Amino acid sequence: MTGAELTIDLLAKHGVKDVFGYPGGAIMPIYDALYGAPVKHYLTRHEQGAGFAAVGFARSTGKLGVCFATSGPGATNLITALADAMMDSVPLLAITGQVPTAAIGSDAFQEVDVLGMSLSCTKHSYMVERAEDLAEILQEAIHIAQSGRPGPVLVDIPKDIQMAQVPFHPWLAAEDHLPTLDSNQVAIANQILSEAQRPVAYIGGGVQAANAQDELMQFLEKTHMPAVSTLKALGSVLPDYEYDLGMLGMHGGKAANLAVQECDVLVCIGARFDDRVTGNLSKFAAKAKVIHLDIDAAEVGKRKPAKASLVADLKTSLPQLDCFVTPDEWLTHIESMMKEHAWRYDYPGEKVFAPYLLNQLSQKMPSTGVVCCDVGQHQMWVAQHMKFSHPSNHLSSGGAGTMGFGLPAAIGAQVARPRDFVITVSGDGSIMMNIQELATIRRNNLPVKILILDNQRLGMVRQWQQLFFEGRYSETNLSDNPDFVQLAAVFGIPGQTITKADEVDAAVDALVNSEGPYILHACIDDKENVWPLVPPGAANDEMMTETVK
Amino acid sequence: MKHTLTIALKNQSVAVERFLRVARHRGFDLTTMNLEMADEAFHVTMTVDSDKPIYLLTSQLNKLVDVKHVNVENQFQQQAI
Repeated sequence: MTGAELTIDLLAKHGVKDVFGYPGGAIMPIYDALYGAPVKHYLTRHEQGAGFAAVGFARSTGKLGVCFATSGPGATNLITALADAMMDSVPLLAITGQVPTAAIGSDAFQEVDVLGMSLSCTKHSYMVERAEDLAEILQEAIHIAQSGRPGPVLVDIPKDIQMAQVPFHPWLAAEDHLPTLDSNQVAIANQILSEAQRPVAYIGGGVQAANAQDELMQFLEKTHMPAVSTLKALGSVLPDYEYDLGMLGMHGGKAANLAVQECDVLVCIGARFDDRVTGNLSKFAAKAKVIHLDIDAAEVGKRKPAKASLVADLKTSLPQLDCFVTPDEWLTHIESMMKEHAWRYDYPGEKVFAPYLLNQLSQKMPSTGVVCCDVGQHQMWVAQHMKFSHPSNHLSSGGAGTMGFGLPAAIGAQVARPRDFVITVSGDGSIMMNIQELATIRRNNLPVKILILDNQRLGMVRQWQQLFFEGRYSETNLSDNPDFVQLAAVFGIPGQTITKADEVDAAVDALVNSEGPYILHACIDDKENVWPLVPPGAANDEMMTETVK
Repeated sequence: MKHTLTIALKNQSVAVERFLRVARHRGFDLTTMNLEMADEAFHVTMTVDSDKPIYLLTSQLNKLVDVKHVNVENQFQQQAI
């Protein structure tokens, strides 16, 4: 068996049925081994598209995502997707071809030190130096990507090793040294909870990574604790939970941010006090004792000290928090804030109001559907105005904030979940960053829906220029955008453009009920901003909410 | 604040790059370093300087697959300027 054949064989043995990639010189033996193999390959039109499709596959299922690229530029084009997966703890395996072993270090054609480049954007990475190590490295890489806190792993395989005869030895995964729960810390946490008057649960992406939605909901249902979510956590708290305050942070809801600022105990469940969540850290939940639950010990105390730290798998640690009931007085206050600061959709203008459109979409699309976002204003409007029943139904580039994420992520999600409704919500800036993947949708007849909220601007940057840079609109005008419906039509994808509020309901119906791929191009007010907004350096209770135009 | 760490690494050339990158990125300046190979592992003794608590570095180093163990040997008092 050659190294290339072993690579494909091992992927199949580990249950990998779908991979995303782009061939090239140094990875040709692996593509040759793919020919007729039981692993289906999806050719994207750029390696970054392959990386994000694998991320979309992984995030929409919780399974390992796999992508291939050739050496040099093929591998460097994967780097952004690896960084994205690193920031958002996504189990990803990237396999890259490398120039032959004898040519490494000679500045050979399409040679780049990919291992060196990978160090800052992977959980772990390898370059295979001996053919006899290949099997063990691949099996270890598959294991590491998915164990503990998940993350991307890269395996760089020189072409000669792909072509060499290699031995196969089954590799038995070493026992995971996952942290075990400290019973003293559990006791301290329960003591803090027993004295809490104004507790809040702060939910992060760790709930999906640990597959701990059931444990989370059991905890919330028995305690009635008000819950706020990070961007990545949206969907972890079921939409009908009475005290779900939605997203907190820079563009979080006012009730969510005020609840955190007023709370006396903050139970952080698989979150990491990201700067977009906390605003001014010294003023974030300043009155609160923090109980921090995370599988990654390095997150505890990294940004905010904890009074109790439960370092373990959330499936283990969450049930250890004793039955405790949130005081009625606090819940009454929470209900009052939720009512006072509820989202409003009674927009006075004649133009399309993006929050209303997204709220309609949320109500009309199947609750099992997947929404893949790009990055910018539309991303925040999705987080604010759509409801999700599971975090695997909301794929948004959180830590890295990568424009161009949405379309290829939707391709990966649709491949992973072929019977589910999958839509990418994008902006006129982001969609152009991986627009070539329309060809991948067409090539594979994927019924991916596309919604473009078009303000002919790089809207979020424009908003900040308006608010914080004296209206100096440097390089954010995109009024020379192409006709997006015509552009999609070139790829055989039908759709329509709307410009007025009274067209929204019918257009959302057409989008949701379309059979195959479909594009809805919605022109919105170029001066519309995302509110509320916690300005830079401010505390989360210092939100700007007025509609400045 | 200066701290001396001893670190045992797997015997892989990239392991050294990997932990040095983490130290730099997390805000710890390297002031001295000694590296020896014994028992099929790299043994590193190094001193780092930072205003940040040392656990912010050791907790990150402990996550690296190549790192076998990390110990904080001693800690120097910050020198008056």
